[in-house]
Amino acid sequence: MRTMPKAAALLLVIVIIAGCGDQRILEKQGFIQSTGYDLNGTKNDEKDNRLMITVDIPKSDPEQRMQRETLTAIAHSSKEAKILFAGQTELSLVSGQLRSTLFGVSLAKTGIWKHIDTLVRDPSISQRVKIVVVNGRAHDLLVRDYPQHPRAGQYIDRMLEKESALMSFPLVTIYDFSRDYFDDGIEPIAPIIRENKKNISFDGIALFKKDRYITKIESKQSLIFSMMKQNFKKGEISMKLGDGSKKQEYLLFSSVISNRNVKVKRSTKGNFNIQINIVVKGSVLEYSGSHELSKDYDRKKIEKRMAEYIENEAAALMATMQKHNVDSLGIGRNVRNSLSYEEWNKLDWNKEYPDADIRISARIVIKDFGKFK
Amino acid sequence: MTNTEKNIPKEDGPAKKKVAPSLALTLKEFKDCADLIYRSLPDLALEMVFFDHLTGSEEFTREIAIPFGSAEEQDVPQLLERSQFTEITDSDALIKKILNGSVALFFHEKCYAIHVYKPESRTIQESESEVVITGPHDSFVETATLNLSLIRRRVKSSRLKVIKCEVGEITKTDVYILYIDGLANMEYVQEFIKRVELIELDAIHDANMLVQCIDDDPNSIFPQFPTTERTDAAVSKLVAGRIVAIVDGSPSVISAPASFFEFFSSPDDYYQRWALGTATRLLRFAAFIVTITFTALYVSVTTFHYEMVPEDLLLTLTESRSRVPFPPIYEALLLEVTIELLREAGARLPTKIGQTIGIVGGIVIGQAAVQAGLTSNILIIAVASSAIASFVIPSYMMSASIRLARFGLIILAGLLGNFGLMLGLALMVIHLSGLTSLKSSYLTPIAPIHLKDWRDTFIRAPFWMLKERPSQSKTSNKVKNKMRQ
Repeated sequence: MRTMPKAAALLLVIVIIAGCGDQRILEKQGFIQSTGYDLNGTKNDEKDNRLMITVDIPKSDPEQRMQRETLTAIAHSSKEAKILFAGQTELSLVSGQLRSTLFGVSLAKTGIWKHIDTLVRDPSISQRVKIVVVNGRAHDLLVRDYPQHPRAGQYIDRMLEKESALMSFPLVTIYDFSRDYFDDGIEPIAPIIRENKKNISFDGIALFKKDRYITKIESKQSLIFSMMKQNFKKGEISMKLGDGSKKQEYLLFSSVISNRNVKVKRSTKGNFNIQINIVVKGSVLEYSGSHELSKDYDRKKIEKRMAEYIENEAAALMATMQKHNVDSLGIGRNVRNSLSYEEWNKLDWNKEYPDADIRISARIVIKDFGKFK
Repeated sequence: MTNTEKNIPKEDGPAKKKVAPSLALTLKEFKDCADLIYRSLPDLALEMVFFDHLTGSEEFTREIAIPFGSAEEQDVPQLLERSQFTEITDSDALIKKILNGSVALFFHEKCYAIHVYKPESRTIQESESEVVITGPHDSFVETATLNLSLIRRRVKSSRLKVIKCEVGEITKTDVYILYIDGLANMEYVQEFIKRVELIELDAIHDANMLVQCIDDDPNSIFPQFPTTERTDAAVSKLVAGRIVAIVDGSPSVISAPASFFEFFSSPDDYYQRWALGTATRLLRFAAFIVTITFTALYVSVTTFHYEMVPEDLLLTLTESRSRVPFPPIYEALLLEVTIELLREAGARLPTKIGQTIGIVGGIVIGQAAVQAGLTSNILIIAVASSAIASFVIPSYMMSASIRLARFGLIILAGLLGNFGLMLGLALMVIHLSGLTSLKSSYLTPIAPIHLKDWRDTFIRAPFWMLKERPSQSKTSNKVKNKMRQ
């Protein structure tokens, strides 16, 4: 019985010290789902280094028709913007439900690490928050109402998730970005989206040098880029197989399983010979050419041409990347792994990369071709 | 009573003063007892005193009326020599015998008693509080002797031993302590008898009352000995090497020692295929977790941890919460108390009216509370499913305890969020591991760990795997079917 007063006292202490200050009662919170960062100033006005920050908050008040709320503030940092936002809404804004951050392309060119850094630091923000570059202004994209998609933030988020599952474009989270940012021998990437008349669409892959946006890869080539960058087991690619004189043939290659490996050789002079081998297996869904896929001879021919197509496209991509000196594929990591730590430290990969001899060879295996004759 | 009087004298123990019994003394003792029957047979010089509602008329006819009816006076001493008649030399003992359903016969200066006890009894019916689908449907009744016969019929062994005690200063309720010689650990048996004999109460009305008097920790909210109305359950405890106690006047029997997890097993588990039995048993443990944490989790998530909710659920949750004027903890407590009210009302009312309660409570209050904006839809789901889950636990005592513990967790969750919830659960585990049942650990087979016992605790393994008796019973014959003499 002696424990009873103690237990009662303990409970009382809990009640008193807990207070209610820490409470975040659900319906009183505004859950920021997407944040957009833009440069406030125009290009001419270089003194204005303030940011235009936009947040998108889904709402579910049954008495209101609006399904979301957007707030915009012009501030020097995202934390400052938060104070400004607080003065605009009846909800207390919390970032624990953040799903995607959008960066305007002009801001991305000046570097985005300091913004990502604040996201990484906040423990309530998930490491799986997606990073997206907007071709245009993130503010415009977020604020606009898409009649077919009442919640813009959710629309963007779900599109990214669905498409990245099919490898149409990469899913880049805060975790991926900061890992590639800090790692030697690889540069971060991010998907780019663009505003259309009625909707939003994928616009390519942004290639960063450290945290600065350098150039982009067109959306058509994104699967080729993925083949060069990593192994994957799902995807779909449409190929245009030119046959020189004859008319062009179109082929849709689906259920793609792609494996790549990178071989690094160093010549006696110190130059690097890098060989990227890609093996792609898949099934042909659509083929408009004159060859008969059921014949082994013809099929081998088509496989060869498909391989050529991939090799050409990949070589073009590689050239672009080397030209801009962005090692988004992470070839530097393969090089690093082939060297000792000392050698790697001595090596200035940034200088070597544009001149490195990188060759790509592809092999295609058509696993099945449906009911073709 | 004080400590010096701890040892209650037994029937044959040394009485304070031995007074020779006599008719006058007996009648004086039972003065103003209108139901006492006094008969005299002057031609045989025989006088009888008894309660006719305690004695069976058939037995009375067979043992007394017929033999004495045709006898002469000189035959009487010879008749009284028969073994069913015992000569009584102590007046107190005689009175006790009469109260226990004996007929007292006075022949000249001598006094004899014959046991013709046959109390009225309810017929054996199916237990209402512990229902099984398959398996024996008979259950214990209020008459201890009948209950004993139910057990004896199932355990045809001379090793089944029965010890009789008396409890209650006024009521002198019979308590029979049963164990199987060679299986039960005698230390437990002695401890149990000691505790029963030390009870200092006027009356014991039910086994569940007795249990509280012999608990190791009377302040705990958790029951430390399971009680059952089911005969098969009682027998299974006996053959597992545990002690079973029958209290006269109560349809429940006690088993000891017990572990926390025993409250989650039902005889049904053994009558179904082992895979099914295992699944049901796991379901019960899941139900336990649901009962105790679901509402508390709702409270902590809606009050503190919006991050934990998936996006789609978050919006519907916010929507249903947005009309509720109270913080989640008040909302949850309001609804939990309502559910407890409904449950209590349903338990008190006759079955026919009880159904109305279900309709009024379930449909009217549930639906209307949401529409009136008093609670959110999702809370109704949380509260209802945790209430249903609590009824899955076979032991009514345990399920009531768990429901009570839940309130503490809800309050902690409302004050400190998930931290509070974990704190509450940790305190509960600490408390449970400190509990003992007849000085054996309450959390066996988890602490101390006995992995072999898990086969019959968390799952119900096939019978060929259940070769050993539970470690908690500390039996000297651990392996089944290998009884040493």
